[in-house]
Amino acid sequence: MQQFISDQIMALGLPQWTFNVVWALIQGLLVLVFILFNALFLIWLERKVSGHIQLRVGPMRTGFHGALQTLADALKLLGKEDIIPSSADRAVFVIAPIIAFASAMLVYVVIPWSPNLIVQDLNIGLIYIAAVSSLLTLALLSAGWSSNNKWSLLGAMRSASQLISYEVSLVLSIVSVALLAGTLSLNGIVQAQQEWGLWFVVLQPIGVFVFLTATLAELNRAPFDMPEAESELVAGYSTEYSGMRWAYFMLAEYSALLAAGALNAVLFWGGWSGPFLPPAVWMLIKVYGFVFLAMWIRWSFPRIRVDHLMNLGWKVLLPLAVVQLLITAIIVVVWG
Amino acid sequence: MADSEMNISTQLEETGSGEPRIRTEELLINMGPQHPSTHGVLRVMARLDGEKVVDAWGDIGYLHRCFEKIAEKRPLPAVIPYTDRTDYLAALSMELTYVLAVEKLLNIEVPERAVYIRFITNELQRIASHLLWFGAFCLDLGAVTGFLYAFRDREKILDVYESLCGARMLYNYFRIGGVRNDLYQGFRDTVLRLMDDLEKRLVEFDNLITSNKIFETRTVGVGVLTAEEAIAWGASGPVLRASGIPYDIRKADPYLLYDRYDFNVPVGTNGDVYDRYRVRMAEIAESIKLVRHGLEDLPRGGDIMADVPRRLSPSGDTYSRIESPRGEVGCYLVCDGTDVAYRVKWRSPCFVHLQLLGTLSRGSLIADMVANIGSLDIVMGEVDR
Amino acid sequence: MVRYIREILKTLKTLAIGMGVTFRNMISPSITIHYPDEKLDVPVGTRGLPVLLSDADGNLKCVSCELCAKACPVNCIEIKSYRGPNRKKILEVYNLDSTWCMYCGLCVEACPFDALAMSDQYELADYDLRNLVYDKERLAEIGRRQTTATINFGIKTGGEWTR
Repeated sequence: MQQFISDQIMALGLPQWTFNVVWALIQGLLVLVFILFNALFLIWLERKVSGHIQLRVGPMRTGFHGALQTLADALKLLGKEDIIPSSADRAVFVIAPIIAFASAMLVYVVIPWSPNLIVQDLNIGLIYIAAVSSLLTLALLSAGWSSNNKWSLLGAMRSASQLISYEVSLVLSIVSVALLAGTLSLNGIVQAQQEWGLWFVVLQPIGVFVFLTATLAELNRAPFDMPEAESELVAGYSTEYSGMRWAYFMLAEYSALLAAGALNAVLFWGGWSGPFLPPAVWMLIKVYGFVFLAMWIRWSFPRIRVDHLMNLGWKVLLPLAVVQLLITAIIVVVWG
Repeated sequence: MADSEMNISTQLEETGSGEPRIRTEELLINMGPQHPSTHGVLRVMARLDGEKVVDAWGDIGYLHRCFEKIAEKRPLPAVIPYTDRTDYLAALSMELTYVLAVEKLLNIEVPERAVYIRFITNELQRIASHLLWFGAFCLDLGAVTGFLYAFRDREKILDVYESLCGARMLYNYFRIGGVRNDLYQGFRDTVLRLMDDLEKRLVEFDNLITSNKIFETRTVGVGVLTAEEAIAWGASGPVLRASGIPYDIRKADPYLLYDRYDFNVPVGTNGDVYDRYRVRMAEIAESIKLVRHGLEDLPRGGDIMADVPRRLSPSGDTYSRIESPRGEVGCYLVCDGTDVAYRVKWRSPCFVHLQLLGTLSRGSLIADMVANIGSLDIVMGEVDR
Repeated sequence: MVRYIREILKTLKTLAIGMGVTFRNMISPSITIHYPDEKLDVPVGTRGLPVLLSDADGNLKCVSCELCAKACPVNCIEIKSYRGPNRKKILEVYNLDSTWCMYCGLCVEACPFDALAMSDQYELADYDLRNLVYDKERLAEIGRRQTTATINFGIKTGGEWTR
């Protein structure tokens, strides 16, 4: 397809850069479509999973077992009045949901769904992900600040403090994987696992645990949903948001959840590698496995208190991540 | 504390010549009346320093319905449906308080079977109320699932009530001199089966919530109420007992059949949120036992209503008190020989417990304040009346 | 150090137990009733809308004694009657304001002629407030639909259910 478009553009006599632009647009569109469909599916899945855990059935009325419920909700949100509080910081208030969604979407650039199904195999993929995914917190912070609401402000501050305490252990657990694989490219990491013939989860049991906890905290998912914390902060940073702006946050949350699942699969569970089935299918199975786990955890536990969250981050996860890194480094030095 | 902070902030302002001025402010925040975790229409005002609560006080009255005044305007038997609406989660306990007061004034001897029915339904009510409290408390702590599990079992108790007296929450079942109608066919078996189920559920709740480490860290050592403070503030019920004082009106001033049966009064040690939780959960287990005892000894047949004159016109005053799921509920009743009460005063445990909020929350985090409100088990209908 | 690790492992264990509980409940059948499509059976004696009962000839049993109106704690029953030819009271207006009614059933208990009963009607929502004031005809019509009627929850029949 790439070749086809390239030929067409050459035939029209346009310069090379037009091809780049068109190709980038097509890729972006594909990612966007994937994200949107996926968010629709994940929100439905969350409702179903939570419903069945709580002895309910979840949505049942729109479509087969409520499959179109999210679509109906999205349409409803689209039709809602766009409310901006009069005392809000208008520019920041408007741009915050866009940043949130963009940060979630940008992560998809480097995620390998199969050996070739990847937008751009950056050789610094891991660093790129760490950088881009922390943008989400910037969005939450600006959303909470610009709403000019006390609850939102508290939620925003919580999200910032959460990011600081979890980013460190998250990156450390990524680093030990990178050490093992000897590359920062995500495709490279998967290939390394395939060559070794074993997934890194075997070599990094502590790392998996640290990574899982830290990603849940990064995603602001329960039990780490401090910035939202419905029973404490009403809805935290998104208290003043409604309609499509709020839906953007929702989209960002579920896109980020899927991206985290993909990252988890790539780093520890062998990514797209697996017998019999095509690589993309293996990848999806692993990703959705993680997503289900995240949902299961969310509907099982009470919320952690904000200071315990810090304790967990600094006193438990960070030492564990450092230990994991040390062990990995020793292994690499001795065997490498 | 507020003053010293103001000093610091002004100092910073003065010294910071040429540099950006740093100033901290306390945040006055309104929690409610439309807040997910204020259990109705409670409005809590809190002064925050960051996430720390400097001071908190409740603002009540959003659900005031002039219960006491209405009770002074209606004939004595017609007040019973209104008592339901004070504490709508333990409506039978409220009815019992009122009915006992009137019976005391009229010197009515209630038939044995009616007393047993009152005893059993009242203990069932305690279980239902505590189950709802457990669910709401889980919700406050962010464990949504526990809420629905608790409601599943509470609904079954409400089903029993619906078959018994036709309503699920506001029963209007007790009458002056007895109960309105007899038990229905199969009441005994249904309730016994329910109690067996419930005992299994309690284990499940323990596995899901009580033993959970997150829950433990959220509740242990939070909102500590010492025994002295609890007495000084006039706390009663599980809140008082969690602070280590084994005071239960069922033991101290027995009514119905509580002097005939032996039961434990669960007592906490530290008076924190965790202890209040444990005391209530243990009370469910005790109530299950009491319900079983009551069903065993329930007299077969017999009257359910005493001979009550058609027109009630007592005179004098009396005070009746019972141990409701939330604490000591009292009814002070003055009658002047007409069929309408001269004065009705309702002693509400929730109103008293709500005043503890500031004491418990000062110096803790917002999240703890939510847990504190939850652990006090406040029903706004009873606070405002 | 050992205590630190043991603490972490213990935490993980309790969390796993909790997740086990939720998983067991997830695979167990749900308890949902799909409400408008399927409805639970209303138990005998449910207190729904109070309705007027008719005798075998289809005439209202009510004799306009107004005891129900007096017994009502919220005064939601309005009765008007006039003296008929043979000095008998004839019911002219019987309005029940269901927005005020708290379904306590005291009116039914007060009725000495079994002319009033609590029906099994509980879906009483309406878009128009005026429709919520039930007049004589509507109350009688719902009353005729009651099969043998849940008269008085067995109070007056000595503890035996009548339906």
